[in-house]
Amino acid sequence: MKLTRGQGEIITYALGSCIGIAFYDPVLKLGALLHIMLPVRQNKDDANILKYADTGLAETIRKLTAFGMVKSRAIVKIAGGAKMFEISGNANFGNIGERNAQTVRQILQRDGFHIRAEDCGANYARTMSLDVATGDVVIKTFGHPEKHL
Amino acid sequence: MRIKDYSEMNLQDLDVMREIGSIGTGHAATSLSQMLQKEVRITIPQVKILGYDEAIEAIGGNIEEIVGATLVKMDGDLNGLMLFLFNLEFANTIFDKMMGISYAGFEQMDAMAHSALTEIGNIIICSYVNAFTELVDMNISLSVPSAAVNMLGAILTVPIAEYGYETDKLMYCSADFVIDGKTYNDWLLMLPDIASLNRILEKLGVG
Repeated sequence: MKLTRGQGEIITYALGSCIGIAFYDPVLKLGALLHIMLPVRQNKDDANILKYADTGLAETIRKLTAFGMVKSRAIVKIAGGAKMFEISGNANFGNIGERNAQTVRQILQRDGFHIRAEDCGANYARTMSLDVATGDVVIKTFGHPEKHL
Repeated sequence: MRIKDYSEMNLQDLDVMREIGSIGTGHAATSLSQMLQKEVRITIPQVKILGYDEAIEAIGGNIEEIVGATLVKMDGDLNGLMLFLFNLEFANTIFDKMMGISYAGFEQMDAMAHSALTEIGNIIICSYVNAFTELVDMNISLSVPSAAVNMLGAILTVPIAEYGYETDKLMYCSADFVIDGKTYNDWLLMLPDIASLNRILEKLGVG
């Protein structure tokens, strides 16, 4: 998870089935970008809390709140959750991206955050960046046009 | 189970996996050689237990590099994934030797070229797994191959996410292919789940 304020760009690279979650408070020009890999932390002893949607989001929101983010102003955008490989006859394989996206949406909704824009699913990787001066989120991919969320 | 995480493997376990990797890669090289009608040599295989960042570094260092990949799922006495990764240089060598063409980039390749690469990946993986199953006397069924051309980082997270609740590490067996005196990195990742890894080692008498 990366967090910055005022100006600059934060980037997370090559989101496959992972999800990138950008938080932005336009008044403070405060932004954070979280990169999660799995939906729920199952082993409570696992210290790597930013790897999971549940603990990662809780920690990111805690930090942003400490820096003064106001929930009602927060602009949240998510990207990723792709299915990189499709194995015919095995529909369950590689569904982790979809599960990640669902979990992230549920947690954000439960915590009262509105998702302003998202670019999830399909079968390609995304590099996601957040410009904290403007709040602009850019999605770069291989073989698809650049997207602004 | 003796081993609960790839990182708990001792030197002897790694040696056994290296031997398996050596036999598997040897057979894969033979298949490749038959396809290309060229001599294909291999270097001494290595087995490494790597985290995500280390694996990216070992493979090429650039998380956003576009690579081709073929993935096959293993089921039966052994569960896990086989992942064969190649860069543009390797793909072009294959195309050049087989069909006398080469491409400036992955984006220029048509469906036919992608399909050819999927099959080559599949043949390499299958010869690897066949050699390996004979050695350990296990019954393994392989899925239909699935291919992707995309960012290296996102492809490598597939096995990591698949086993994310078991381990943060990947077991990475690699040997280089030498074709016409030129060395190509062979990124063949054999990724048994932890229970299967224990079964392999038991079968080979080091469990």
